[in-house]
Amino acid sequence: MTEAGQEQIMCPVCGGPVIIDNKDKVNRCQYCASPVLGPSQSRDCVNHPGVLAKEVCHVCGDLVCEKCMQKRVGEYGGKLLTIVNCQKPSCIAESEWAKPLNEEYQKLANMDWADRIDNIILRITGFGAIVMMVFELLFFLGVLYFQYFTPWSMPEVRLVLGSSFVVGPFLMIPVSILVFCIFGNLLAAILLQSALQVYVPDRQLGAGVTLLVILIIEVAHLLFRGLFFGLLTLPNPYFLPLMIGAFLFGTVLVFIGSLMAIYVGNKKRIQLKKARIQLNLTLKKGT
Amino acid sequence: MIGVTQMTFGVFGLFASIGIFLGTFFGALGSIGYVYGMLLFGGVAFPCLVIGNYVDDLRRRAVAAQIVYSLIAVVLSGYFLYVQGISYYWGFPIFGNPDFGIAIGNIAAFIVASQSLIILYLLARWKAVAPPPGASVERDKTRARLLRSTHVPSPLEPALLAPDGSTLSPDEEQKILGVTKVVTEEGMAILCSNCNGATPLSKVGEDNTLHCDFCGVLLGVSSVFVPCENHKEYLAATTCNVCGKHFCRQCLTVQEPPVDERWEGSAVYLCKKCFEGRYRPAVTTASLVIPIDQLFSTAGSRFSRVGQLYRSFLGAYASGMKYLWRVPLELLASIGKSGGGNNDNCAGALILMVIVIIAIPILAGILMILGAIIIIPILFYAGLIAVTVEAAKIVSGTDFQSVDNARVRAIHDHRHPKVTESKLRPSVRVWEDEYRRASSEHRRLIRGIEAEKREHERRRRSREPSASFWRDEYD
Repeated sequence: MTEAGQEQIMCPVCGGPVIIDNKDKVNRCQYCASPVLGPSQSRDCVNHPGVLAKEVCHVCGDLVCEKCMQKRVGEYGGKLLTIVNCQKPSCIAESEWAKPLNEEYQKLANMDWADRIDNIILRITGFGAIVMMVFELLFFLGVLYFQYFTPWSMPEVRLVLGSSFVVGPFLMIPVSILVFCIFGNLLAAILLQSALQVYVPDRQLGAGVTLLVILIIEVAHLLFRGLFFGLLTLPNPYFLPLMIGAFLFGTVLVFIGSLMAIYVGNKKRIQLKKARIQLNLTLKKGT
Repeated sequence: MIGVTQMTFGVFGLFASIGIFLGTFFGALGSIGYVYGMLLFGGVAFPCLVIGNYVDDLRRRAVAAQIVYSLIAVVLSGYFLYVQGISYYWGFPIFGNPDFGIAIGNIAAFIVASQSLIILYLLARWKAVAPPPGASVERDKTRARLLRSTHVPSPLEPALLAPDGSTLSPDEEQKILGVTKVVTEEGMAILCSNCNGATPLSKVGEDNTLHCDFCGVLLGVSSVFVPCENHKEYLAATTCNVCGKHFCRQCLTVQEPPVDERWEGSAVYLCKKCFEGRYRPAVTTASLVIPIDQLFSTAGSRFSRVGQLYRSFLGAYASGMKYLWRVPLELLASIGKSGGGNNDNCAGALILMVIVIIAIPILAGILMILGAIIIIPILFYAGLIAVTVEAAKIVSGTDFQSVDNARVRAIHDHRHPKVTESKLRPSVRVWEDEYRRASSEHRRLIRGIEAEKREHERRRRSREPSASFWRDEYD
């Protein structure tokens, strides 16, 4: 209870205290500054009685309908935040520092339709890339295990430098395992990063194409590596089928995800291009 | 690293000065040996150990002292090289070798090179290594961790409140929270900011307030009667501050506001889409589209955690290398214990100390190279595991913490939950750093103003007797 015996009104957003200064205008929460209706305030637009208000003018606090408001994007401390002002000249003048939102372009460039599919693409490519990465990590350990902890050995490799200097298998086997597996891990890391980029609308198309290219290199590298290491001669009946199964699963996921990303990303590119042509807008450099 | 390097010099200096003292004491050197020992201790061991201990610790005076010390070392060693030349060496018999040599000229050249690098580095990175005057640096790791970990901004205590503002008992809390999951069937409802319970809007009184059906607190009503974008059954609590759309408490997350005097509130609300940085405001003038990438960066720093991991591994490696110095120290200690007036032992100790100065860096170098062959692949592997775990977190998409979830967690844990970061938009909380910088600047200004006020008051008081005099005379 307050000192006057009245109950404290809580902000419906954050729970902070709301002090009633205006009975017929919005009052702001003392903590988060969210607008709360005054005790005798109408919920209608101040200019159109009978029409339910949609927004609050951030300058004068009047409730306004869609016809009476302007949405602007203003920079607060380096971040773009949206504000709303009414059509009163004083309120417009007070909001001049923020740039009006181009509602028409906003509608044309709206990509809400892609939210769901983008989520799916992120999950598919992301999961596939994680499988690939886990595969690479296990493959590395597996090859090391079979090479050094079992009687099996990969074919002997020698590096001939000139006529008299030869680097023998004692050094070349671990070096080749290390180099090929590290390269495979690097490819998987690039794949993983590209797989996460598909969620960013501006980078979706590029990320999709990158995924596809990296995937092709990764598959070729795996095949070459398997043959080079002579894994077909591996006596263990589980390791190779398990690894190939995991790799195929990851590859299929990333492949599908990248195709989807390319398709949706291209659709977005066309949408933006059309919107710009329609509104005769040019693209600012750096965007 | 500068601190470690400097302390290494200090340890060598300490060895050498102890060796010279011992050698002099047991007659291996003339009485001038005490002077050399003192000079070595006061000029190398003590300053290097003291400065080295503080220079990496963001202490302005230690950094300045390091620069001055390095400058003196460069000048003296340079002069030594000029006088004696780089080929200057000491030769003495040891273990049957009649002429064992120590390249003193090379050591002087090494000192000139290393200390010059230290000076250049410290001057080039002055702003990073020496905090500005008045800046406070938290050196207690526990407290520093607390400063770094931010909490969800909220004016409420982390406990369920009663209508009179008091906190409820855990049993009462449980009772209320147990039933607030019930969704009202009487049309659009308002979600309580105290208990998250849904109370139908039909219960809003004529004064535009309503009592929560569950916890009984008096709630104000959101300014506009617009349903949440995602939950049509709930009245939108407020708008997402980034995209401006209306959302309920289940669809908004809260963060600290940007540092800007135009921003009135102590919180910024973001919907999930804006939290992940996917909103594209179409701001146009003659051209279009604000460079969103500069504001809502998504890439690049995603893998910074891996970098941190590498750094921590390397830090652990470097600190592990410190134990390397224990071996010669313990060796020397054992020789000291086995002494007892035998001159041969003392001479041996002295020689060993000098050898240690040359041998330890070589030994350390060899060990570091060997270690790197093993440690670097392990680091690489560990880094990839960290990347995979991070990616799994991003893909699972569980980092969005809604306002109502944060409230439930606060009540349940009886403490404010930590802010979660969007892995997809790591720069989302950049303004916090700006806020801290601004707060620190603000505190500095306030301190300045208060000091000025005190000074002003002091001057006023010092003038008071003369003012009284004039009043007495002319009043």
